Amino acid sequence: MTNFQFLFTAWIVVWAIFFGYELSVAARIAGLRKDIEQLKRQLEEK
Amino acid sequence: MKASRVIWTLIGAALVLCAGYMALFIAPDEATMHAVQRIFYFHVASWIAMYCAFTTVFVANVRYLLSHDRKWDALGVSAAEVGVICCTIGLTTGPLWAKPVWGIYWTWDARLTSTFILWMLYIAYLLLRGLLEDPEKKATLSAVFGIFASLDMPLVYVSNRLWRTQHPQPVILGGSGSGLNPVMGKTLLLSAIAIIGVMVLVLFDRYRLEVLRNEYAELKFLAESGSTNAEIAGRDTR
Amino acid sequence: MFSASRMSTARATAILLGKELRLEFRTRELLSATIVFSLVVVVLFSFAFDPSPSEARRFGPGLLWIAFLFAGSLMLNPSFAREQANDTLDGLRLAPVSSFAILLGKMLANLIFMLFAECVIVPVFSVLYNVSLAGVVGRLVLVLFLGTLGLTITGTVFSAVSAQARMRELLLPLLLLPVLAPLLIAAAESTASLFLEQPALDRTWVAFLVGFDIVFMTASWLLCDYLMEE
Repeated sequence: MTNFQFLFTAWIVVWAIFFGYELSVAARIAGLRKDIEQLKRQLEEK
Repeated sequence: MKASRVIWTLIGAALVLCAGYMALFIAPDEATMHAVQRIFYFHVASWIAMYCAFTTVFVANVRYLLSHDRKWDALGVSAAEVGVICCTIGLTTGPLWAKPVWGIYWTWDARLTSTFILWMLYIAYLLLRGLLEDPEKKATLSAVFGIFASLDMPLVYVSNRLWRTQHPQPVILGGSGSGLNPVMGKTLLLSAIAIIGVMVLVLFDRYRLEVLRNEYAELKFLAESGSTNAEIAGRDTR
Repeated sequence: MFSASRMSTARATAILLGKELRLEFRTRELLSATIVFSLVVVVLFSFAFDPSPSEARRFGPGLLWIAFLFAGSLMLNPSFAREQANDTLDGLRLAPVSSFAILLGKMLANLIFMLFAECVIVPVFSVLYNVSLAGVVGRLVLVLFLGTLGLTITGTVFSAVSAQARMRELLLPLLLLPVLAPLLIAAAESTASLFLEQPALDRTWVAFLVGFDIVFMTASWLLCDYLMEE
């Protein structure tokens, strides 16, 4: 691997890790929002 | 999406682009390492962000124990996770810089060893939380462990420094800041601000996730115990 | 007003310590298990590395402290788990003793057990690997004491933490060993300085051990109430 390839890989690693984590958090937030709405509707029906 | 959120994300993106451009194109080429040295900018920046995150964990742990307000617990776990992410980034970009420059991926010098132990400490913190079930106990006991871990940090550094001055190893990262060219210094500063910015954005999202989780757990508890709507309104949030 | 009916911390600690010691010396199961385990680690070292005498001198300190750390992590759990199984912790909480006294009583008991085990292991090590301890016994005891103190202070606190979690046997070493990394370095280096041709106790590392013990003892004192919360 040339110097540039190491630099590029490092650059990709930084943003892939941040991005991947952010996506996973956002996905879990969306899922939870749906579940919360569902539960709220359930409780109101009571 | 809220307007302020969009604005902050755009600012963050702009910072990242500017810092990236500066790091990759404007900063002068280093004499011996040439292009690969540019990793240094976001590698060191991610470690600075890591320290900010772990300091936040310490503050959150102390505030939680003093107030028992779950918001601090939520901040603590969020900052710990984000800190571990930054640490992981640092520990992976480091070897990617080391290999072309020194020929080896890793060495047990003071800084790398200490950071590795830090990584393990906060992973232990997160694992501990996963294994505690009762929310109150989880928050209190992990705060206690978190404080111990934070107190351990300086001890880890001092012991590793003392040890490595006695038994020197190749210093893999060089003295960062030792005779830094001013343009390089500015690039590093901008990179640090950019990465801290990204970290804070991610932290806020993670915090929101944690708050939502607590809300969901409470609603679930209410649904299962068959409380009425009126009781939900009057229920305190502890 | 309240303090009149509360026992002083020192007296409470002494009583609790006596209870722990009496409990253990009745069966001696924890102590014997700890000694045997440490012995196994020390012996396995010779199979794994087949060290020459000079190698034994070089790596011996590290080996000894790793054996003690591992043995400690295994033996500290039963300390609180025993209480959990019999629900005696609630009884302790109701008694008019400070949480620090409860914690300190256990810490001192664990310290005594570990030191006992070490006093057996170290001579065995010196015989098995031909490492002479002549002239350094006093200083070695000091290093063993300071290092083991750090181990038991943090170990007892973390065993209180992990006693309430799942997978506590695995959790305790997981929490303890990273935190004790500086102690391991300091204790191993101090011990190594005593195994040299010209033994000379390394003051810096001993000072570090003292500092480590003070920091974590203070933290335990400040945080003990949160550990013992219902």
